[in-house]
Amino acid sequence: MLKKTKSENNVTDPTPHPVSSTGKTIIGRQVTIEGGIQGSEDLVIEGTVRGSIELGKFHLTVGPKGKLEAKIRAGNVTVSGQLKGNINALERVDITKDADFNGEIKAKRISVEDGAYLKAAIEVERASKKTVEPMGKTNDSFASPPGKDPISMVREEDKRK
Amino acid sequence: MATFTPLTQRPKEHPTPDDKQVFYTSNVLRLFAEDLERRQDPQILDIGPICGENIAFLSRRVKRLCVCDMFLRIDRDRRKGLSPAQVWRHLDYPPQSFDGILIWELADRLEEREARRLAELCYTLIKPEGKVVMFVPAGHSVQQAVSAFVIGDGFRLTLRPQPHLDLPLRKSQNRNVLGLMAPLKSVKSFIYRNGLREFLFKHD
Repeated sequence: MLKKTKSENNVTDPTPHPVSSTGKTIIGRQVTIEGGIQGSEDLVIEGTVRGSIELGKFHLTVGPKGKLEAKIRAGNVTVSGQLKGNINALERVDITKDADFNGEIKAKRISVEDGAYLKAAIEVERASKKTVEPMGKTNDSFASPPGKDPISMVREEDKRK
Repeated sequence: MATFTPLTQRPKEHPTPDDKQVFYTSNVLRLFAEDLERRQDPQILDIGPICGENIAFLSRRVKRLCVCDMFLRIDRDRRKGLSPAQVWRHLDYPPQSFDGILIWELADRLEEREARRLAELCYTLIKPEGKVVMFVPAGHSVQQAVSAFVIGDGFRLTLRPQPHLDLPLRKSQNRNVLGLMAPLKSVKSFIYRNGLREFLFKHD
């Protein structure tokens, strides 16, 4: 049986791994992964991944150069690259303007920036069912068939005057 | 043949919020939301321009919100030199999938032939009694550019220009709009003082 030397004992984890001091893993641009990824820390993908990603409550970021075809379960997901697949997030999903997303999203909250290239089926936690205020008489009286009694459109600058 | 500005020459940033911000209260959107309230687990389609506020607003009122930004797709296909007819491949949903469809002002950004194709697709994709929301912008300069109709409190819509999109506006008379959407029945229409028109159609 081999004895550990003193110097070996001082090294807590001798294998090199891409974990930053902030506790997240980065999959670089030149890396391609096919298969499943499971983790218990935040993950940033700048490379290519095909398969499934399970991060529990942690945050997945698909960077601008990232390319994914994947089924994702995570706490929060931010997409700035290409993603084809399904996202199931415990909390929120953020789609930035650089994103190209095609798939399904399930989350409590979602934010999308103008310009995102998006084709998605979205299911979020629905608001408690409350009746939409019916159109009041005042409002209805403004409404009219095209060409008659137009209603006003206000500019912010006019409102300030 | 319509021309368009190369992407590199288009403004990168959105105008500041106070830059000629236009808003009004939408009657058609309120009617549309009232109709959704009466439906069981509604599913709707928004064909853009997609904006986060609208996704947040709509997704909390329906079981399933499908978004497919056709403005961006048309813009991208044009830059690739693809035929306009090919863009409809993106709306590959099964027939009668939706209780409601928001086409905003897309029809007025298309050649008539493609606008008719859009109307046919709406007819195919909408369920019986389903509603289609359509807007027709006026020729005013503020409405020449493609804008997202951003939904706020009390169905107040703010027009937010989308400078990354460059699709020419074609002016339609009301009769053209009604003729275009003919398979669908016009339920309500409204006109606003600056010329913007809203239409609500339904599938009989």
